Amino acid sequence: MAKKLLLKLLVVLAALTLIAVGCGNDDDDAAPEPEATQAPAPEPTEAPMDDEVIAAFVFVGPVGDAGWTWAHDQGRRLAEDRTGATTLFVENVPEDGPDFRNVVVDFIEDENANVIFATSFGYMDAMEELAGEYPDVVFEHASGYKMNDTNFGNFFGRMYQPRYLSGMAAGALTETNEIGYVAAFPIPEVLRGINAFTLGAQRTNPDVEVHVTWTFTWFDPAVEGDSAAALLEAGADVIAMHQDSTAPGLAAQDAGARWVSYNSDMSAFAPDAFITAPVWNWGPYYARIIDAVAAGTYAPGAYWGGMDDGIVALAPLAADVPADVAAEIDEVAAQLTDGSWDVFTGEIRDQDGNVVVAEGETMEDGPMLGMEFFVEGVVGSATG
Amino acid sequence: MIRPVLVRRDRVLPATQSFGFVVGILVALVLGAILLWVSGNSPAEVYERMFDSAFVGTDSLSRTLERTTPLALTGLSVAVAGSMGLWNIGAEGQMMAGATVATGVAMMADGLSGPALIAVMLASGVAGGMLLMLGPALARSHLGVSEIITTLMLVYVAIRVVEWLQVGPWKDPGSLGFPRIEEVPGQASLPGLFGRVNIGALIALGLLIVFSLAVSRTAWGYELRLAGSSPDTARYAGVSLRRKVLTALLLSGGIAGLAGTIQLTGAEVRLTPGLSNGFGFSGIIVAALALMRPSGVAVVAFVFGAVQVGGQSIQTLGVSSAISDILQAMILFGALVAAVFFNYRIRWTGPLGESSGEEIEQLEPAVEEPDV
Repeated sequence: MAKKLLLKLLVVLAALTLIAVGCGNDDDDAAPEPEATQAPAPEPTEAPMDDEVIAAFVFVGPVGDAGWTWAHDQGRRLAEDRTGATTLFVENVPEDGPDFRNVVVDFIEDENANVIFATSFGYMDAMEELAGEYPDVVFEHASGYKMNDTNFGNFFGRMYQPRYLSGMAAGALTETNEIGYVAAFPIPEVLRGINAFTLGAQRTNPDVEVHVTWTFTWFDPAVEGDSAAALLEAGADVIAMHQDSTAPGLAAQDAGARWVSYNSDMSAFAPDAFITAPVWNWGPYYARIIDAVAAGTYAPGAYWGGMDDGIVALAPLAADVPADVAAEIDEVAAQLTDGSWDVFTGEIRDQDGNVVVAEGETMEDGPMLGMEFFVEGVVGSATG
Repeated sequence: MIRPVLVRRDRVLPATQSFGFVVGILVALVLGAILLWVSGNSPAEVYERMFDSAFVGTDSLSRTLERTTPLALTGLSVAVAGSMGLWNIGAEGQMMAGATVATGVAMMADGLSGPALIAVMLASGVAGGMLLMLGPALARSHLGVSEIITTLMLVYVAIRVVEWLQVGPWKDPGSLGFPRIEEVPGQASLPGLFGRVNIGALIALGLLIVFSLAVSRTAWGYELRLAGSSPDTARYAGVSLRRKVLTALLLSGGIAGLAGTIQLTGAEVRLTPGLSNGFGFSGIIVAALALMRPSGVAVVAFVFGAVQVGGQSIQTLGVSSAISDILQAMILFGALVAAVFFNYRIRWTGPLGESSGEEIEQLEPAVEEPDV
């Protein structure tokens, strides 16, 4: 009995879908198009010289109107305008589970994408696997550390540089000398940002303390807003964050406190609270990769650009940042841009007072990328 | 003033559920077409892509079955508890607990050969799921504490434990400071069948058949259902309710733990806080649509998996993820609503007192199942 029902169910389902699809084809001339492009499309050759570039972006969150994914989407638009390439994207793709892989395979097989940009750390293992399966497609991964010699590279930016500058502004504006920092996950990138921010704040305000809470979320307005509110209640009068939502800023504005946003200029969301923001500018890098693929000169690398390359920058300062502090920020920004000075230059001590960077020395990229400690002045645990 | 009242149908033919399911999906597809059209997409193109990506070709079938496996296991997990009227809302957490214990065992026993390690991991995964369920099961059987709340709360405990292991004791020193747990040993990967489908699918199928027969054909299953539908009768018949509650919940937890372990060693390479990926919560919908019958779980899980695969794939056509989510939800909701109407009918009653809506009386026989 059950089997018969099952069979009936499947037959009916199949029939319904066929009807839906069949009807569609009759009145929609555009429908056969995907098949047409699939068959005669030039198969990707070993060197996709002068091939049309179709760049597909996989986003971990919604594009929305601000934040990490929004910044990547701005980059996608800029790259499309600049290179004339076709770009595609899918948002809200989970890092775990089969979705990511399926999305990428669909992009390659159905849409003839030949460049894949993936913008979240958790895609890394799947990217590596797919890069092996599709040697003629270029895979570029934001924030990861894996790559190969032919078609798989990674890219990121020295966000700690504008973070330091934003810390300078925040340090100058706090009156309680207590800054709250709503942080996502205890990973080197986030720790590096908190440390750079703290060092910047200490430059303009030696007495400042930065209190960190972990949310274990990238984008969860409720949790992130609550964390900010708790920090404010505990005495902080400036909120900084490593989150994608604007909720910490709204909490700060409600409490009459100030806010350093992240990812993109979020001044419109809490104009009274907003001080400044370290922001991403991915477009030029995306355009460069697309141009290189079109010209057949692409070679994978581990790109880590800084303010010199414009991939990271500081948003405009609020009007009440004191003029002398604003001038000093400009000065340090110029040093970071011309490479004459970098943030993790000694002497720097960790939370326990141990010297981690000696006087006059500058931390190498390796230790910076694997940073696992908090600098002196940070209150909180570096392991979450 | 007349008002509508839902009245349970006199005779619920077994077929009406399946028929309702199909009608619901059909109605949802029509409404979905309007949604797609309004949002500027071509319904024909979108439905064609959904169908192709979920059913046409081995790769598509592989994608659908890749999701069917965890959905079927979590659906079965919820259905086993549901057979006696218990709600396991925490399959998501039991998946994580199973995968966590299995990972711990793999770290200690990584010298074992493939088949031995796989067997040990699967068994420890079942134990892990049961372990997380032990508290809620005992609290329910001995203290009468609602298992709905306890199982749900433990989901977040289980996920936090994995987060803690990831930044703490199990942090892989070889991952450049990134808190990640080491990959499961290579020999523990479940042998593949075709595409992305591995023997986990066969394990799921086997368990569905076993539980389907056990629940519907054995004395044990009869007592289970009796204990759920009529506890007093069961007690009178000498059935130990406590033991039944314990067994049903622990089995439910164990199956979810197994689901997590199969995801760990089949689909993923390492334990992450996102490993359960919502499959545990989706299992509740699967079991509800299958009316808590293990035999129905397989079909519903397959359709659910296909809807998810189709819903994801249309996004590469440019359909926004929000529209895709709404479309998926409409299809499932359509099936659910239709199931209600095939089991209940609307009766229009007069003001209270004339005919109280409370009493369930049947004035006419239920609609016969139309022959399909």
